[in-house]
Amino acid sequence: MTIEPGDFVSVIGNNGAGKSTLLNTIAGTLSVDAGEINLAEHRVTNKPVAYRSRWVSRVFQDPKMGTAGDLSVAQNLTLAEKHTGSLSLRRYRRKGQTERYLDLLSSLNMGLENRLNTQVKYLSGGQRQALSLLMATLSQPQLLLLDEHTAALDPQTSHEVMELTQQIVTEQHLTSLMITHKLSDALTYGNRLVMVQDGQIKLDVRGAEKQALHAEDLMGLFES
Amino acid sequence: MLVTSIGQGLLWAPLVIGVFLTFRILDIPDLTTEGSFPLGAAITISMMLNGQSAVVATLMGFIAGCLAGWVTGILDTKLKMPSLLAGILTMTGLYSINMHIMGKANLPLLDQRTLLGLLPAEWSLNLQTIIVGGVIVLVVVGGLIWLFRTRLGLSLMATGNNPAMSAANGIYTDRMVIIGYMLSNGLIALSGGLIAQSNGYADIGMGIGTIVIGLASVLVGEIFLHGRKMWIRLTGMVVGAIIYRYLLTLAMGLGFPVNDLKILSAVILVIVICLPLLQNKYRTKRQLKRYLKQIGVDENATNSHPERRTLTKGLFSRNQQRTPRLKGRELDD
Repeated sequence: MTIEPGDFVSVIGNNGAGKSTLLNTIAGTLSVDAGEINLAEHRVTNKPVAYRSRWVSRVFQDPKMGTAGDLSVAQNLTLAEKHTGSLSLRRYRRKGQTERYLDLLSSLNMGLENRLNTQVKYLSGGQRQALSLLMATLSQPQLLLLDEHTAALDPQTSHEVMELTQQIVTEQHLTSLMITHKLSDALTYGNRLVMVQDGQIKLDVRGAEKQALHAEDLMGLFES
Repeated sequence: MLVTSIGQGLLWAPLVIGVFLTFRILDIPDLTTEGSFPLGAAITISMMLNGQSAVVATLMGFIAGCLAGWVTGILDTKLKMPSLLAGILTMTGLYSINMHIMGKANLPLLDQRTLLGLLPAEWSLNLQTIIVGGVIVLVVVGGLIWLFRTRLGLSLMATGNNPAMSAANGIYTDRMVIIGYMLSNGLIALSGGLIAQSNGYADIGMGIGTIVIGLASVLVGEIFLHGRKMWIRLTGMVVGAIIYRYLLTLAMGLGFPVNDLKILSAVILVIVICLPLLQNKYRTKRQLKRYLKQIGVDENATNSHPERRTLTKGLFSRNQQRTPRLKGRELDD
């Protein structure tokens, strides 16, 4: 499977079909038994998660996973920014940082701009997930992994976060891979749809062909 | 009596700060403490007996502690052992190493000049202890406050808080854990070296119970001083160390024999673990009462039990005392 620059791929499939496995092997939390993974021309098959983070960012399913709860919103954003390396002994607070973060946070429209110094654990799930999304896209990754990132949210918030995702991805022309259980989301968002079953890619459609797909077609495929 | 406790507490403070680093920042209970504390003492005393100055010997004690922490860190991260087991292994191994360094179970100083001896001899022992301890604690606390303002410090905090997220943001978490272990055990060994100089000897058994002392002091410190700012938390650790010493001195004043001090330490730890739990219960009750009053519900009419089950485990996660209070604030909003 090759993901082209600019693709927004939605991945669907049954429980246990291998969606998460696919995503985890790309992110590096699972090591592969066979095959290889290349990220932006770099071979990363056996590299650790931290090494791959130069090219890949990830939004987790659980809002608690993507952010450090005891740290403030600002500290979380600092962690996500491009930097000189985590062994650096330079101060992590920089001039102009606060203003920049405030701008970014207010663009999310989640009320986060008043919470810059709040510990993330006191935010709502939606706010945490929006922050997580902002952090993942802050360093403009070559590939953005979205792991059912709206599954733990209520329908309204889920919709907001999904719209936000669409907006950020389009604005920054990010290449993305999104796992979802919502067929409607898979059909609405993205230019490419991949269906996984029993560890194999069963369907891979893009562009106009994807536009023509309907939820009923997919349901039919699920049952077969 | 209080003055003696302040002096002794300041000498114990690096140990408490070391335990704080692994226990609170990295979220690891590190038993290496019981081995690295006497290691610091053994290295410091034997180097002084070999003619090194007290300053060099104390510093070498610190470095030896860092090495012990490195070993535990490697066992934990690279060999993927549970951190408790990694600590136990290093601690057990260190017993033999400490025996080799000291050559016998108890190694007294002869007439070597300790760090305290660098100060004018006409000053009282308590004053000397407080000055030496105070200077060292200032350097340690100052250094750590600086560290936690750097990228490295932020990465350490993030690693302890959420390793998965840290790795996803490019932090090599194994390295951070190893650095944390090294710093922590370095400070613990430093404390061991200081206590040995203050006592005038190093003893193979002086590490027994130090992890309990450390944890109890951390919790006592957090009861008295809590905040999110690093300098408040670190000052809390120093205060905790001093108060803990004072409690022990009080107990000894009541006629407890020295041999019973260990069980007393254990009991103090149990008490300081339970105290915040009771505090929590009481606060939750009061808040619920106020809230019910606000919305005009008769408390006795409802069946809802105001007590929220709080497990002892919950206490070992950070900021436990503050959670209910903040919840109350949100209610007020």
